[in-house]
Amino acid sequence: MSSGYKPDILWSPHHADRYVICDTELSLYRIGPSGSSETKAGALQLSEETAATLLAINSDTPFMKCVAWYPKHEPECLLAVGHTNGRVVLTSLGQSHNSKSKDLAGKEFVPKHARQCNTLAWNPVDSNWLAAGLDKHRADFSVLIWDISSKFSPEAVPAEKVRLSGDADSGLLVTKPLYELGQNDACLSLCWLPRDHQKLLLAGMHRNLAIFDLRNTSQKTFVNTKAIQGVTVDPHFQDRVASYFEGQVAIWDLRKFEKPVFTLNEQPKPLTKVAWCPTRMGLLATLTRDSNIIRLYDMQHTPMPFGDEVEPTIMERGVQPCSESIISSFAWHPSAQNRMVVVSPSRVMNDFTLFERISLAWSSTTSLMWACGRHLYECAEDSGQAAEAEKDIATKMRERAQSRYGHDTVQVWRNHVLAGGDDPQLRSLWYTLHFMKQYTENVEQKQQSNKQSLIYSGIKNIVKSSSGTTETRRCWSGSDRQTDVPRFHSEERSLALQLCGWISQGPDTDVEPFLKSLEQEGEWERAAAVALFNLDIRRAIQILNKGASSEKGDLNLNVVAMALSGYTDEKNSLWREMCSSLRLQLKKPYLCIMFAFLTSEPGAYDGVLYESRVAVRDRVAFACMFLNDAQLPRYIDKLTNEMKEAGNLEGILLTGLTKDGVDLMESYVDRTGDVQTASFCMLKGSPGEVLKDPRVQCWIENYRNLLDAWRFWHKRAEFDIHRSKLDPSSKPLAQVFVSCNFCGKSISYSCSAMPHQGRGFSQYGVSGSPTKSKVTSCPGCRKPLPRCALCLMNMGTPVSSCPGTGKADEKADLTRDKKLAQFNNWFTWCHNCRHGGHAGHMLSWFRDHSECPVSACTCKCMQLDTTGNLVPSDSV
Amino acid sequence: MDLHILDHRLRVTCISKSGLQHYTHPLIKLIFLRNRTRCKFFSLTETPENYTVVLDEEGFKELHPSEHLQVEGSTWLPLNVVSNGNASSSSQAVGVTKIAKSVIAPLAEQHVSVFMLSTYQTDFILVREKDLSVVVETLVEEFNIFREEGGESVPVHSQDSCNGLQRNGREVPHATVHPVLIPENHFCVMSLDPDTLPAIATTLIDVLFYSNSPKEGASVDQDMECIKFFSFSLIDGYVSLVMDTDAQRQFPADLLFTSSSGELWRMVRIGGQPLGFDECGIVAQISQPLADSDISAYYISTFSFDHALVPEEDITSVMEMLQTQRKEMSS
Repeated sequence: MSSGYKPDILWSPHHADRYVICDTELSLYRIGPSGSSETKAGALQLSEETAATLLAINSDTPFMKCVAWYPKHEPECLLAVGHTNGRVVLTSLGQSHNSKSKDLAGKEFVPKHARQCNTLAWNPVDSNWLAAGLDKHRADFSVLIWDISSKFSPEAVPAEKVRLSGDADSGLLVTKPLYELGQNDACLSLCWLPRDHQKLLLAGMHRNLAIFDLRNTSQKTFVNTKAIQGVTVDPHFQDRVASYFEGQVAIWDLRKFEKPVFTLNEQPKPLTKVAWCPTRMGLLATLTRDSNIIRLYDMQHTPMPFGDEVEPTIMERGVQPCSESIISSFAWHPSAQNRMVVVSPSRVMNDFTLFERISLAWSSTTSLMWACGRHLYECAEDSGQAAEAEKDIATKMRERAQSRYGHDTVQVWRNHVLAGGDDPQLRSLWYTLHFMKQYTENVEQKQQSNKQSLIYSGIKNIVKSSSGTTETRRCWSGSDRQTDVPRFHSEERSLALQLCGWISQGPDTDVEPFLKSLEQEGEWERAAAVALFNLDIRRAIQILNKGASSEKGDLNLNVVAMALSGYTDEKNSLWREMCSSLRLQLKKPYLCIMFAFLTSEPGAYDGVLYESRVAVRDRVAFACMFLNDAQLPRYIDKLTNEMKEAGNLEGILLTGLTKDGVDLMESYVDRTGDVQTASFCMLKGSPGEVLKDPRVQCWIENYRNLLDAWRFWHKRAEFDIHRSKLDPSSKPLAQVFVSCNFCGKSISYSCSAMPHQGRGFSQYGVSGSPTKSKVTSCPGCRKPLPRCALCLMNMGTPVSSCPGTGKADEKADLTRDKKLAQFNNWFTWCHNCRHGGHAGHMLSWFRDHSECPVSACTCKCMQLDTTGNLVPSDSV
Repeated sequence: MDLHILDHRLRVTCISKSGLQHYTHPLIKLIFLRNRTRCKFFSLTETPENYTVVLDEEGFKELHPSEHLQVEGSTWLPLNVVSNGNASSSSQAVGVTKIAKSVIAPLAEQHVSVFMLSTYQTDFILVREKDLSVVVETLVEEFNIFREEGGESVPVHSQDSCNGLQRNGREVPHATVHPVLIPENHFCVMSLDPDTLPAIATTLIDVLFYSNSPKEGASVDQDMECIKFFSFSLIDGYVSLVMDTDAQRQFPADLLFTSSSGELWRMVRIGGQPLGFDECGIVAQISQPLADSDISAYYISTFSFDHALVPEEDITSVMEMLQTQRKEMSS
């Protein structure tokens, strides 16, 4: 017989560490940590941390069908057991000695007609009431509500009538129920409604879910459904009920009881248990017969439907608490979050905690939040130890935006300092852009516009167009020995050298100023190498000496200088041999390439050209000097592709701001995510094609969104201004016009500037004319403009009647930070109530009020503005 | 009140006493091996004459045709009356009595032949499928009628096409008064947890199939007064048993369910010769006067005769009542 009974598990309502397993007998267990001294040898291991100890066994009730635990604290281990013949017996477990428990234990409640008891439920408030749901009988009720405090039935059954039941000791026998409900109907499941303890929800045959109110049992609300096998109320949401049938779970809202809110049905096998999680809102666990998987339905984010169409979203997942065996039943832990104990048909128990789904969100300011169960974790970038780990690009961009990175349009190279000055690639990029700009400006002055287009297209294109190269062989300066090192000259090559920063503008090709600046920055090795490449070995030695003697100087530089001074061009000398082998041991790349240069054959400078630690601009400059017309483009192409692939910003020197440059920038952005540099850099490229590239537009838009997300609204506005100056096509058209209430025309100057007006603007102009006050009237019809709701003055801003200024003026105005109309004087109005006034007045009003300043108006203007209460996080 | 037309299509059959041995296998399968058949409605009633088996079409497939098996030609549909809770039933009378006025009498008037089957749980009224439209027409005034199809209850409304009651052919004068027999034995109506069926299997097989073998203690003269009657039904997972106290003693007491008062019933057998299936008004004849006197009753029709069970304390008044009825009829 026992094969038919699968163990069920029931958690104590008051002791979080006790539960009962019931199959043919009731076994009380205590759950505790497995390692503790409390647990004895007989403890059953439930999980890695927990074990259960058997406290008591009650085997008085072999024909039990259902069990319910008394909901009150006292007596603590009182259980109601429903039998297959419909009797309900109160029994206790464990060593409960108090008198109340003794009075109650053993009490028996007998229905008039025997049939199976399907379900039991204690009333949560009036704990004397016990509802029992029975199978149907042709002449009897299927729901009996017993009062456990009632004495044995006064109209005791005559002894001769007890022939069949065979129970003589009717001392504890109760046969008269308090209430009887549901005639010729079986009750398969029932529960008390927590919202109103007099109400009972029944699931019965004839496919009904019915709600009875005990105060008026003839009235019931019912709904016809198949899902009647079991009902259970969501402990967190008392109007939500789950009922099930076969493999189908229906979720009901008792306030809208006509049909299920939704149905979950995809399980092929019949369900055996459905339970709401007591510790987690809207989490329903279901178990099907002969399954080892508990399915979980998370209705956490279910909005209650207002219309019939709303289909709530449900997250479904399955968990397998014990891999091998099937699950007979499970029970949620009453207080520990997401924890349950499952029991297998062979009574193997398993303590198990569900892992909570994690939802995480990035903030716009590089911190990360995630929620797991009831815990909320935040992970923010450690700002204190920035040196140790490289900061996230978002943090960097934020800091750079605050330091106005990219906005220095005069001394373009300074932008790398604004960016922090520690990134060699950015440094190279901004110097490149600086040299390009410088050159363009000079060219502009000289009206040589034919080169202008070339300059932004990079050295790659410059070199390609090279023609008329001349070759010279120069002496080593300071020595009269003829070198056999050919050096190449052309107009394009010297342009390239300018872009590399080696020589400055003009016909003068002296590198001395460059060497001086390098010396100033303490870049001794680099300066020496540049001097050497300009065939000035003496200068190189001099620089090295200077470097060695400077503060924090490296004395090794003297040694290098000495080695250098021993230079000989004899092919088979010891010096050459030793230098070419020992140079590789030099740690400093520039020193290394110096000896590489001296020991190489003319035209074969791979040791210099492919030394990746040397700045690209120096290698390119070197190549422009020493590679012939055939080698140079090949080398430049190769280097360009290398740079493009690596996304190395130094390559911008080669590609310029062309499509190639966008490709390079693309791989840079892919690598770093630095849309800020990409946006600023590409804005510098005046050719329209580059700015029209969708990638560039995408970077710019993303950067703007980023600034908005950081609430850097002023920075964003600044960027937009900067952008519209460099890219006039990005200037947005006016979208809002203020029109006059009388003539309906726009009061802005652009409208009044229409030629048919035929009137000079000096009439309304601001330029000190006596009609200055007229800004408060419509330029079209001269009727007064509306009044400010606060100061009651007519509104109007000088800019509204200011004639358009030339482009140059505009630029000048903005740089001088002189505004035609203070923001305080701007028109503002509520889109809802249409009241408004001067922006400054409105701002100060809404700082303290939420309602419209117009006295009769109750519009909550400020609350309608979702961003109105946000404060920009950048300073004004 | 609701009237449910249940989702079963039933056949009424009869196995002769001598032919029982040919059918023990399917019967045992239908009774004990619920998981092996798709039969949802099974009822077996043993009377001294034969075994009446009522079962649905799935179960009917198990019974192979033979000379020992008689089958009534038509398909029957079970009806079930449900009080939808509003009637909190102050009346003590239960079973057939309760529905006598509302269902049985109107159907008798419309000449619809009914086959009654009472169980521990409820009362089924079986009607022929071809009479269904008449049944619906007749009862639609009184009841909310639902037809259960695939687990859903679908409301049924009387079809307009069926205008004018299609009478059941011939006008049968329902003056025929059938003789009644009131045996001495006491019966009990019981139920059982279907899960414990295996526990009583041997006893049940013994009672059902070996009851003809002489039992010790059953004296010959007692047999004259007592009637062999045993009914087992397994419908929608519910077991119902009707047996006399002799048979009941053979079962373990703690497994069978009955009322706590341990009420016992006496039987009124209707019909002197096999009643057939076409005559109508037989149930009404008995149930009407019982309803008038508010006496509860079970009613089990079999292939040959009808059997009404009334509480033992009411049997004298029922006898008197039937006698007066008989006098009225004959006068």
